[in-house]
Amino acid sequence: MTERHRLRSVLWLAYMNGIVPMRTQPLYLLSILASPLSFLFFVTVASGGTLFLYGIAGGMLLTVLSVGTSLQTDMSHYRTDLKFQDVIVASPVEAPVYVVGIALSELIYSLPGIAVFIALGAWEAPVALVGAVTIFAVLLMVWALATALGFTLATFFADVRETFVFSSLVSLGLTVLPPVYYPISAIPASVRWLAYLSPTTYAAMLMQGAFGLQHLTFSSQVIDWAVLILSSLALLSIAALKARWRDP
Amino acid sequence: MSNAVEARALSKTYRHSGGTTDALSGVDLTIPTGRVYGMIGRNGAGKTTFVRIGATQLALTSGSMSVLGYDVMTETSKVRARIAAVPQESRPLYFLNVFELIYLYLTIRGTEARDARKRTEAVLAELGLADSRKRLVSHLSGGMRRRAMVAMVLASDADVLFLDEPTTGLDPIARREVWTAIRRAIRDGRTVLLTTHYLDEAEALSSRLALLDGGRVLLEGTPTEIRERVRQPFRLVVSGVLGRAELEPFGSVSTVEGGYLVFAKEAPARELAQLALSKGARVSLGPVTLEDIFLQVVGKAIDADDVPAEAAE
Ligand SMILES: Nc1ncnc2c1ncn2[C@@H]1O[C@H](COP(=O)(O)OP(=O)(O)O)[C@@H](O)[C@H]1O
Ligand SMILES: [Mg+2]
Repeated sequence: MTERHRLRSVLWLAYMNGIVPMRTQPLYLLSILASPLSFLFFVTVASGGTLFLYGIAGGMLLTVLSVGTSLQTDMSHYRTDLKFQDVIVASPVEAPVYVVGIALSELIYSLPGIAVFIALGAWEAPVALVGAVTIFAVLLMVWALATALGFTLATFFADVRETFVFSSLVSLGLTVLPPVYYPISAIPASVRWLAYLSPTTYAAMLMQGAFGLQHLTFSSQVIDWAVLILSSLALLSIAALKARWRDP
Repeated sequence: MSNAVEARALSKTYRHSGGTTDALSGVDLTIPTGRVYGMIGRNGAGKTTFVRIGATQLALTSGSMSVLGYDVMTETSKVRARIAAVPQESRPLYFLNVFELIYLYLTIRGTEARDARKRTEAVLAELGLADSRKRLVSHLSGGMRRRAMVAMVLASDADVLFLDEPTTGLDPIARREVWTAIRRAIRDGRTVLLTTHYLDEAEALSSRLALLDGGRVLLEGTPTEIRERVRQPFRLVVSGVLGRAELEPFGSVSTVEGGYLVFAKEAPARELAQLALSKGARVSLGPVTLEDIFLQVVGKAIDADDVPAEAAE
């Protein structure tokens, strides 16, 4: 395949899995918003409104992270139940084209959800251009991270039910326990180091910085970016190495 | 010109928690281009393993396999450019309609949009799916879904099509509709590797056949050649009057409903037919069916025991 063919395949895959289902399963779109919006509601109410913006930043992150979960579910389903992946393997479409195509489709599918949070955020606290670019870049990085993680998990599990169990544990570990919805200072100092184990912590701090909720020193920004980029790259390489395209 | 598929001393051993399974052991096969090649065998014979190695979905353990002259393990992308597959028990994406299923498969494979549209329209018309083009796949019957899957690969520009049990679980009418689709594929010079455990299907469609059992090829050739290679190429069903002991000198006897089935060589077959008629027994005489051949060669019927009941889709 030439580069042009690869790009076309990615776009057609994204259309197939991201846009066509909006027509047949429109209610699904609402379900994407369900958990980020309820988290937003809880942190806002519980904090008497002071954590509303944290909830917005967290909601954006969670919506993009959920791309990884839906990717994982779709990929396992397509591989083991429908054998669609085998149909694609026996064709000129290469593994990265398939993965990026499906990942893009999940991103498209989550766009209406992200749009809701962007609208809420812009209404409450308009950010400057630099902040907006940072938010966009962080979300893009988290998308790559979620995709790599979702894809790796999908290749490890034999059936969809197993991935369901696992993905809820993963999203707990990535979004609820780390300070995605609240400032890291809210975590008791003795266990704060635990939060630093999750790459989403660094993404959340960058987001909170961009929203003007935290003051980040230059060096902490560098560290946050470095961790985010390195963990995405690490997960992407695990995905590339472990991905089962041809069964052993 | 190269053959569609060539396997040399092909072996596959699966490793799993319970140990290892030899699914293919030293298989040599040459599948020429431009025909339907049938692969028959009971469940577990190794058909799917063979097809998946050829379709680059599964790694081989030893030996070699090539598709259109390209090695499946080392020249994978060259192979993938020329093939298409309907895997065993695969199901179409349920949220698409019939048109989208075929059209998007083609565009994802790399066919230009305009060409893909033309190919989709043509295959829909030819397979009698034109009226269902707007129907969601999830609303189709099992037979229609299979037909849509076959239509998908037929519409592609692939030269070698792998169809792994495309008709299992379908009713007789739906099966025949899939047959029509398969026959259409070879009209334009393509090769179809078809696996089935329906012998009538293999015989109706294939110009050559391989009979697999226990990971080995037991017989290979045109249906006629296969018949000729069988030791006892005639079958007689005798009912009434004659007992087992009287039949045994003529050939190998087994009990069937309402009488005895005898496999025999030509001369004893004629002799037995005359004897039976003269004694007033009912008798039918004809060439063995593939089913009989399977019974003679494998020693079990193709659908004996370990084949699970076919679940309708
Ligand atoms: N993934 C696998 N792991 C372990 N054993 C397998 C696997 N796939 C098939 N087998 C075994 O290999 C043998 C051949 O199977 P298969 O190629 O599916 O046969 P067929 O398609 O003719 O029914 C069987 O004994 C089967 O149990
Ligand atoms: Mg099989």
